[in-house]
Amino acid sequence: MTINKILLTFGSAAMALSMTTASSVVLAQDGPLRGNVRVVIGSTSTGGDTYQNSNIVVEKLAEHLDLNMKVDAVGASAAFRALDRDSRGNTLMIFHDQSYLGHLYGVQGYEDIFEKYTIGPTVAINPGNAYLVPKDSQYQNLDEIIEAVGNGETVRVAIQPGGVSEIGFSALKNAIAIEHPGKEDNLVAVNTGSQSDKNQQLFDGQADVINGTVQANEQYTRLPEDDQKAMRFIWLTARESTIEQAPEEGLGQTSREQLLEYTEPNVTVTMGDDENFTFDKEFFFLYNKDMDQAIVEQIDTALAEIYEEGEIQEVQKNSFFIPNFLPSDEAREHLEDKRSRYEEIIQNIQ
Amino acid sequence: MEFLSLLDVTFFLLTALGALVGIIFGAIPGMTATMAVAVCLPLTYALGLNHGLALLLGLYVGGISGGMVPAVLLNIPGTPSSITTTFDGYPMARKGEGEKALKVCVIASVVGGLISAAVLFFFAPILADFSIKFSYIEKFLIILLALSVIASLSSNMLVGIFSGVIGIWLSLIGDYSISDGGNGKTRLMFDFMEPYLFEGFSLLPVLIGIFGISTVLLEAEKGVKSDLNDERVKIGKGGGFSFGIFHGRFTNMIRSSFIGTFVGMLPGVGGSAASVLAYTQEKNLARDSSEMGKGAPQGLIASESANNALTGGALIPLLSLGIPGDSTTAVLIGAFTLQGIQVGPLFIPENVDTWYIMMTALIFANFVMFFLMFFAIKHIAKVVMVPKHILYPIIVMMCVVGAYAINYGIMFDVWTLLIFGVLGYLVQKVGLEVAPLIIGFILGSQAEVYFVKSLESYGTFSIFFTKSPIAVVLWLLILASVVFSILMSLKNRAKQRQADIS
Repeated sequence: MTINKILLTFGSAAMALSMTTASSVVLAQDGPLRGNVRVVIGSTSTGGDTYQNSNIVVEKLAEHLDLNMKVDAVGASAAFRALDRDSRGNTLMIFHDQSYLGHLYGVQGYEDIFEKYTIGPTVAINPGNAYLVPKDSQYQNLDEIIEAVGNGETVRVAIQPGGVSEIGFSALKNAIAIEHPGKEDNLVAVNTGSQSDKNQQLFDGQADVINGTVQANEQYTRLPEDDQKAMRFIWLTARESTIEQAPEEGLGQTSREQLLEYTEPNVTVTMGDDENFTFDKEFFFLYNKDMDQAIVEQIDTALAEIYEEGEIQEVQKNSFFIPNFLPSDEAREHLEDKRSRYEEIIQNIQ
Repeated sequence: MEFLSLLDVTFFLLTALGALVGIIFGAIPGMTATMAVAVCLPLTYALGLNHGLALLLGLYVGGISGGMVPAVLLNIPGTPSSITTTFDGYPMARKGEGEKALKVCVIASVVGGLISAAVLFFFAPILADFSIKFSYIEKFLIILLALSVIASLSSNMLVGIFSGVIGIWLSLIGDYSISDGGNGKTRLMFDFMEPYLFEGFSLLPVLIGIFGISTVLLEAEKGVKSDLNDERVKIGKGGGFSFGIFHGRFTNMIRSSFIGTFVGMLPGVGGSAASVLAYTQEKNLARDSSEMGKGAPQGLIASESANNALTGGALIPLLSLGIPGDSTTAVLIGAFTLQGIQVGPLFIPENVDTWYIMMTALIFANFVMFFLMFFAIKHIAKVVMVPKHILYPIIVMMCVVGAYAINYGIMFDVWTLLIFGVLGYLVQKVGLEVAPLIIGFILGSQAEVYFVKSLESYGTFSIFFTKSPIAVVLWLLILASVVFSILMSLKNRAKQRQADIS
């Protein structure tokens, strides 16, 4: 009897609460996007850049559209599956270049996003993709590494295979193939997982170079040289013009000016035809192919207005992101172009 | 001492609230400390860093501790690291000593939590430097050591090893993830299973299924008649608990706390290994371990002090290297990134106030957890007196909700719960052992990754023996553990034979 009473009280309270919430949500919306919106991301980490950037964008978007939106860090394959299931627009996805690079590298679970999904707007760039060596490494810069590999030395690079972490390695290998044909196999990939695994490979002397990020590795570059953990940057893959948009104070104790020392034209990785390789890690929306086009336009318009207000740019820059809003159509064209350039590199070294 | 000015009433209230909500999360099967921290993470936007950390650290300590409640009372580990708590906790609860068991757990937990907080405070940078000496090889050997104890946890050694191997086999289903540096290809399944099993079986649904659902099925088989009545259940007036239980157990508690802290600070080794190692060390080293597994407080002390010691341990690499030590601290790192603060080797010297704030929250959360649980236990322990025809359907419902929620709404996780519930029931019916099976399942995939990565990195088998003095010590421990298991098994067999003759 008592239990029944408790259940009844809680039940009716919960129902009343959900009805109140539901009605206020419905009242608040008149655009094509309605109800609760779940934004899945291609990473399972809530400490990473995808979650951080998605949170910034989704929070602004939810406020602007007066919708209940939430970011869920479910990981790539679960996010694609969730997006496949929902054509109403209540599930959206935010991911980065990994979404098409995974397909180019033939990773299971990645399909051609340009075929299978609608490409949404780009929102920001993380300019932090970096390559590092131990502070006491014999290699002072990337040119010395390219030369060493060209002279037959084996150089081991710790990466996470199949995407963003590998693309710089592939470009480097391609550059060696161009400058020192036949020697590119001396550049060896050490396949690892997380950033901590890559760092560990460097500490153990099992890698000569690691892929990392400005955000995760900057403090390591400030350790004294006799510290086993000390590292130094040798290459940032971002475009010079991207880093130039970062705040002047840079990140941590490393200023923008110092970061620019590691980008083109100071550090160059050729793609042939007088073109240098650069890679900006860009975040963008992905939609279910059958989702109402009006929702695509609604989000484009809302984001255009948000970026016009200018506040989001400040928040993004404070978190070391470079604002980069492109509406869906332009974003698609831009990303397709980017994809075809990287496809060429990957094909060249296969 | 500038940080003192940052401490206010809200700070302490949020830590206490975090601990309370964490305990509730930990106590519900399928809800974990990680989930509690993840759910509350976006709140740190509004709360600011210091208040946000207070809440999250409260949730972390509470969530890890709350796992003991269903482990003791219902035989369902609320969190993976409380598996070993079920070994002695549930038998005690069945004997009507649930309150006593929980009180032992709470005290062991607070001691473990505080010891690890002290280690974190005084030795974090030094230990972080030590932890990076553990490469793939040493991590593989630690997992192997934890796996080697499977034999000593079983009543029949061969059956135990066989069950453990099945567990390892089950853990290898799914892809060899590229996020582990693998090739992203699936194995041990047919093509039609890929959409469901691409990432293998999720740990928590397996855990709750194999412990919780199978327990419900076994009980249901017996009928609804309760084997516990008010007279047998010792609740109130201490419930049979006295501090005398800890007499002669301090070595166990301190040793287990250090094991927990140590395992916690090794990224990627995981909390379950901590309590399993602490439990078996007690079993191997105690003067009398014959009652362990049948309801001995010493088993609870080992398990709970180790799993709470994880909290401080896992924060060591987070705050000294920027690398989370376990899944919860991996979420916790989000609190820093959301506020634009870098965590890395210079975090502590560059953020002294935040560091002191975190230590204060961690210690306060441990005390709050202790007071909340120690005095609420006599009420919580009454769960066992709820008639089973009401209790078990509620447990099943909570298990289903937990399994569905754990990966943000994957229906297959609910089926996993059911499959492993039935499997757990059948396994016990045919005489296999659940504990080794689940330990094999939890540690199997990590063992694989570290084993493969070791070979990829060094290219030779001999490196497992020659890599470092740490590796040699770990081999000696593995050897000792195996020899001990064989001796125990022979002794048991002799005892059995003697009993049969007489």
